[in-house]
Order: sequence, then structure tokens, then C-alpha cells
Amino acid sequence: MSIATLFEIVLAAVVLGLAIWTITVSETYSAAVGFVAYGLLVALIWVRLDAVDVAMTEAAIGGGLGGIVLLGAAARLRESEAMTAERPGRVVRLCAAALSASIAMVLAVAVLILPDPAPTLAPTVISNAGATGLANPVTNVLMAFRAMDTMLEKVVLMLAIVGVWSLASDQAWGGRPGPRHEADPNGVLAFLARLTPPAGIVIGIYLLWTGADHPGGAFQGGAVLASMWLLVIMAGLADTPPVSSRSLRLILVAGPGVFLVVGLGGLCFGPAFLAYPVAFAKPLILGIEVAMTLTIAATLALLLAGAPERSATR
Amino acid sequence: MTEFLTGAVGLILAILALGLVSILRGPGDADRMMAAQLIGTAGIAVLLLLGAVTGVPTAVDVALILALLATFASIAFVKKGLSRLDTDGPG
Repeated sequence: MSIATLFEIVLAAVVLGLAIWTITVSETYSAAVGFVAYGLLVALIWVRLDAVDVAMTEAAIGGGLGGIVLLGAAARLRESEAMTAERPGRVVRLCAAALSASIAMVLAVAVLILPDPAPTLAPTVISNAGATGLANPVTNVLMAFRAMDTMLEKVVLMLAIVGVWSLASDQAWGGRPGPRHEADPNGVLAFLARLTPPAGIVIGIYLLWTGADHPGGAFQGGAVLASMWLLVIMAGLADTPPVSSRSLRLILVAGPGVFLVVGLGGLCFGPAFLAYPVAFAKPLILGIEVAMTLTIAATLALLLAGAPERSATR
Repeated sequence: MTEFLTGAVGLILAILALGLVSILRGPGDADRMMAAQLIGTAGIAVLLLLGAVTGVPTAVDVALILALLATFASIAFVKKGLSRLDTDGPG
């Protein structure tokens, strides 16, 4: 048995063990911590499977931003959890276990009966890579071959932020999201929030730029930029913008907006919706990606900041 | 050289597994969070070594993202759990 196989077996065993523990542990807060560690480890597995783009997204969302949401929710639930002493009955728990096990079994069977080799469009993607001038096949699929899906995904992000904002009370509407964070201006957190963003912003832009030819892209870059913004907000160095701000709303619609304009341009001057002229394919895709990165960064940060809570003037 | 690096990956994985034991045992939230941070740091090291061993240079980019974002869970932990830690004392 080679060392690489041994490494894979150990990694898989560790991840499986952590996953089972995260499901079975009774306390929500511990489960959230376990899930964060799980996200970090799954990123390793994706790298091992040569899916580096997925690994980046998993590291950014599963290990980073998702952790903030889960830990925050678990901390908020903690008080109410202690008060509700009643637990689901034995029958309910058995039924839930049986349901979960049967779903897992169906999924396992579905994977096992896949033909070998599995049906794939990968060779077609590789052979058409020259059409866009981009070398990263994932970016090619996301931005050109399945551009429609990516555009609709950005619209979903916008719907998500509308959903979060609609939780605001009438008085707070148009105000600033989340509480005003206070931190010791000479403390560790403020120091980290001054030290990290310059490097983080460069890395975010680098991820966007390198996405054309190597793993990376708008979502990973946007997630890194969002986390840098959140860090500054959480350290109390900056405040969240009021949701009534026009420039903020412009940034939120920039990504899908530019995408839609380019798509309609393809419909008017080219053969189809979202058809890029071959000569300008790369600049157009890069332009859309820059707008999308800004939108993703602003949307992810505001999703985590929460609903408007304070009036804009305070 | 490759054997040496692979051995180093094995050693870090063993440390990572120890961190996992600490997550499972606890007993306090702070212990679990510190273990999750250890796993994040070990993950960065494994990614850098894997990139060198298997010749996947982009693994370094994943390590960059982990290095930037792995601290965020502990920031959230400190911000949300601060008041509780004050009342409960250490642990």
C-alpha cells in the first residue's frame, strides 16, 4: 500500500469520525464547532481529488464565513435550548434515524450503479476551451458554457439579501444592519483588523485574476473580500452602511446587471442570449467577473451582518 | 525529498487527529474552539506540503484562503461568547 493511499485512508477516517460526532453530539454549540473543523478538512479532500476550485470555496464558506453564521446562531439558541427540557420521543427519533439511513442508502446505491466511466462532458469542455481564451475549464463552464445558471445564481444571492432585510422592523428600515460592534481599539482584534485586510484584499483580487487560467474566480475572491470587510466591521473600526444607501444598492445589483446587459447584447447583436463575440469573449467575461466579485463581496458580508437594526443617523 | 515531505504530512495528520480528540472530549467550548484552530493551522501545513509532494501548485492558493479565513470562527466565538465566558469563568 502506497503512502498516498494510506494518507487518503487516514484523512477519510478522520473526516468520517468528525462527521458522525457532529451529528450525534447533543449540544448545538459543540456541533457548530465540529462542523467548522469538518469544513476545513473537507477542503483537504477536495484538493486530494484535484478539485481545487471546490476546495477554495469550501475553505472560504465551510471553514470561514459559514462558521460565523453557525456559531452566532448556536450562541443565540443556547439560552432557549437550556429552557426547553422536552426531547423528541423514542418513536420520533427512531423514525428520523430510519429516514436518514434510507436516504443515505439510496444515495450510496445511486453512486454505485453509475456506469464506469461515468457520463461526462469534460472532453467537450476541454476541446472547446479555445473559444473563450480562458484556460481554467471551471471558469469556462461557469462564465460561458453554463453562463445562464451563473447569472441566475447571482439573482438568487440578491433574493437572499432581500429576504434577510425583510426581517427588519418598520422603524429600523433603511438603517444599518447588525449591532454596532465595540472592541478595544488597542486590543488584539483591532490589531488583526488593521494587519490582515491589506494582504487579504490583494489575495482577493489575485484569486479573481488567476481564475481565468488557474483555480479561483469571482466567488472565491468575493468571499475573501467579504471576510476582510466583516473583520473591519467586527473590530469596530468601521460601521455597516445603511441599507438605504444608493451606492450600496448599486453594488448589490452590479453583478447580475452587467451580466444581463452583456447577455442582451448577445441577443441583439449576436446569435443568442449570452453569446459572446469570440474576439471580445475574454474582456467581456473579465468585466462581468469584476462586477460579480464586488456584488458577491457586498452580498456575503451583508448576509452575515443581518437585518437592519439601527436607524441610519445614530 | 518526496519521502521526507510525505512523512511530514503523516506527522501533521497525526497531530491533526490529536486535535480531533480534543474536539471530541472538550470539556469546554474554548477547548473545542482552540482544537478547531489547531486543525485549521494543520490543514494549512498539509496543503502546502501536499502541493509540493503531488505537484499541485494551486494548493498554495487554498492554503492562503484557509490562512485568511480559519481565524474567523474563533473571532465569532470570542465576540459571541465573551459575555458568557465572563460570567462562567475560565473553561
